[in-house]
Amino acid sequence: MAALPRRIIKETQRLMQEPVPGISAVPDETNARYFHVIVTGPEDSPFEGGLFKLELFLPEDYPMSAPKVRFITKIYHPNIDRLGRICLDILKDKWSPALQIRTVLLSIQALLSAPNPDDPLANDVAELWKINESEAIRNAKEWTRRYAMDN
Amino acid sequence: MSGMECNSDMECSDSDCGDANYEDYYSNQIWDSVPDNDIDSNQQLRELEITAFDCLRVEDVERLLNENVELLSSNLKITPSLAKLFLYENKWSLQDILMKYKDDTLKITTDVTMNSLKFTDISCNDHLTELNCLVCFSLLSLEKFNALNCGHFFCKDCWCIHFETQIAQGISTGISCMAKDCTNLAPEDFVLSNVTKPALRERYQLFVFRDYVKSHPQLRFCPGPNCQVIIRSKELKAKRVICSICKTEFCFRCGMDYHAPTDCNTIKKWLTKCADDSETANYISAHTKDCPKCHICIEKNGGCNHMQCYNCKHEFCWMCLGDWKTHGSEYYECSRYKENPNIAHESVHAQAREALKKYLHYYERWENHSKSLKLEEQTLEEIKLRIHKKVMDASGTWIDWQHLFEAASLLARCRYTLQYTYPYAYYMESGSRKELFEYQQAQLEAEIENLSWKIERAETTDRGDLENQMDIAEKRRITLLKDFLNV
Ligand SMILES: [Zn+2]
Ligand SMILES: [Zn+2]
Ligand SMILES: [Zn+2]
Ligand SMILES: [Zn+2]
Ligand SMILES: [Zn+2]
Ligand SMILES: [Zn+2]
Repeated sequence: MAALPRRIIKETQRLMQEPVPGISAVPDETNARYFHVIVTGPEDSPFEGGLFKLELFLPEDYPMSAPKVRFITKIYHPNIDRLGRICLDILKDKWSPALQIRTVLLSIQALLSAPNPDDPLANDVAELWKINESEAIRNAKEWTRRYAMDN
Repeated sequence: MSGMECNSDMECSDSDCGDANYEDYYSNQIWDSVPDNDIDSNQQLRELEITAFDCLRVEDVERLLNENVELLSSNLKITPSLAKLFLYENKWSLQDILMKYKDDTLKITTDVTMNSLKFTDISCNDHLTELNCLVCFSLLSLEKFNALNCGHFFCKDCWCIHFETQIAQGISTGISCMAKDCTNLAPEDFVLSNVTKPALRERYQLFVFRDYVKSHPQLRFCPGPNCQVIIRSKELKAKRVICSICKTEFCFRCGMDYHAPTDCNTIKKWLTKCADDSETANYISAHTKDCPKCHICIEKNGGCNHMQCYNCKHEFCWMCLGDWKTHGSEYYECSRYKENPNIAHESVHAQAREALKKYLHYYERWENHSKSLKLEEQTLEEIKLRIHKKVMDASGTWIDWQHLFEAASLLARCRYTLQYTYPYAYYMESGSRKELFEYQQAQLEAEIENLSWKIERAETTDRGDLENQMDIAEKRRITLLKDFLNV
């Protein structure tokens, strides 16, 4: 494997030294471009109390291309599909090389606090979120309890 | 109907034939020859369907664009590259740009200096001899940095990698600044001054040119396979243009096959529907049907829909299997779809069935005329062979038979328009306008089948009779287009 770019080394160091509150991101022992991420469900959201596992991978041309991020823990959210893929503009066309792993994870945390059913990835979830929000939130809480609280 | 046998190789082969005029007779384009004897319809045609256009080569277009670029760059005293970017962003309208310039809404910041750089997030030392690049996190001396006119500085290495990554993804004119939320586009000279790999530079220049042409309201790439021609027309209308090199004909506005009287959006909707429903429609693509009278199996090998059973001589319509005697009159109803007036009160299932029936009615006719066009092309080839033989046998000259080729190309033109009346009718609201449309469509259809019938029996048809039929068919076509074509 090619030597790790200075930028990735620096970002990793800073993530370790000054972690983002509610988020832990640890590089894999064998692959420094692969991060094990845990995001704490934000307070006052249906995901509160849950610990959500994600994987984050920095592609070869990072930071010219966005990191690839996916939820591993099942989650009931209009912008996250069954495979854990996330609908977030900065992971697609709004990516800028000046953004960082830190900013990406903060945006994902914000997405948990403020789901956006008008830009859905999981259509059935988004539909329910729009026509019956209280039932959707009940589902999200139930999924959080069932899948994100065991360990 | 079978073509005559050829007696010797020499007479059959096109290429061995030394007669230069012979080739000319063969290269009839369906839209080329409007009968000379009808100046009136000629002019009406031009207004309705044809637009003035030029076929340009890449070099011509480059010169054309550069003239505009130079004009703007000397006018506003900006680099040609920035001028190009403004022209691209404003659809090549000098007027719009100069107006924005007056209103001061044009983003012109020439000479970005280190003084104007954005300090947000940049940790730098007191004397500003070194900067921290926000992308690679390297501390580098100032001359290693560069910025667009938005003042977001990054190191040149990062710009280079950024551009290379974007170009590799096929992005060219759309490459923007690397800063977060900055939508400022990178002009050509800035990109090229940072990209060194020859293959990527070439790719970039190719893509940029493609984007310039696509953004230009007067320019269209010829959609013909591997054709380099760019067509220029001053009016962006749904009119017919023909590439002078590859002979592809298309609608200037949308780039698809010419589609009068249907408009660009409707034809797109129709073609998408046909592609989506191709499974359902497949079963009707049969080449054989049974004679409605003696039930013998009949194969359709000509374009004409006026059929005559070879067994019982019964004459019938291929589309609806009705007696031909009832066709061609005032009561010709074959092209019209009779909607169930009470459908709104029927069950959902009945409505779905009705919708499918309606679609298939139009699709079947659309598809059938498209097939007839191809079959009539074959018929024309057979006629050419037979006429070639006649000329060689000294029974008449090429001039004597010229009217037949004109008839065949006129038939193709009329049937082509007829084919495109079906998507138009499918999407029409019912009412008196649709009734008028369907009446004219039926009239056109009847005259086309008469013409096709006469051409198939060309050698026994009286020339005056044929020319009369040509005239009527074209008049019907023009009438329909005049009343319903909206470009
Ligand atoms: Zn850099
Ligand atoms: Zn910028
Ligand atoms: Zn062409
Ligand atoms: Zn069009
Ligand atoms: Zn029969
Ligand atoms: Zn019929």
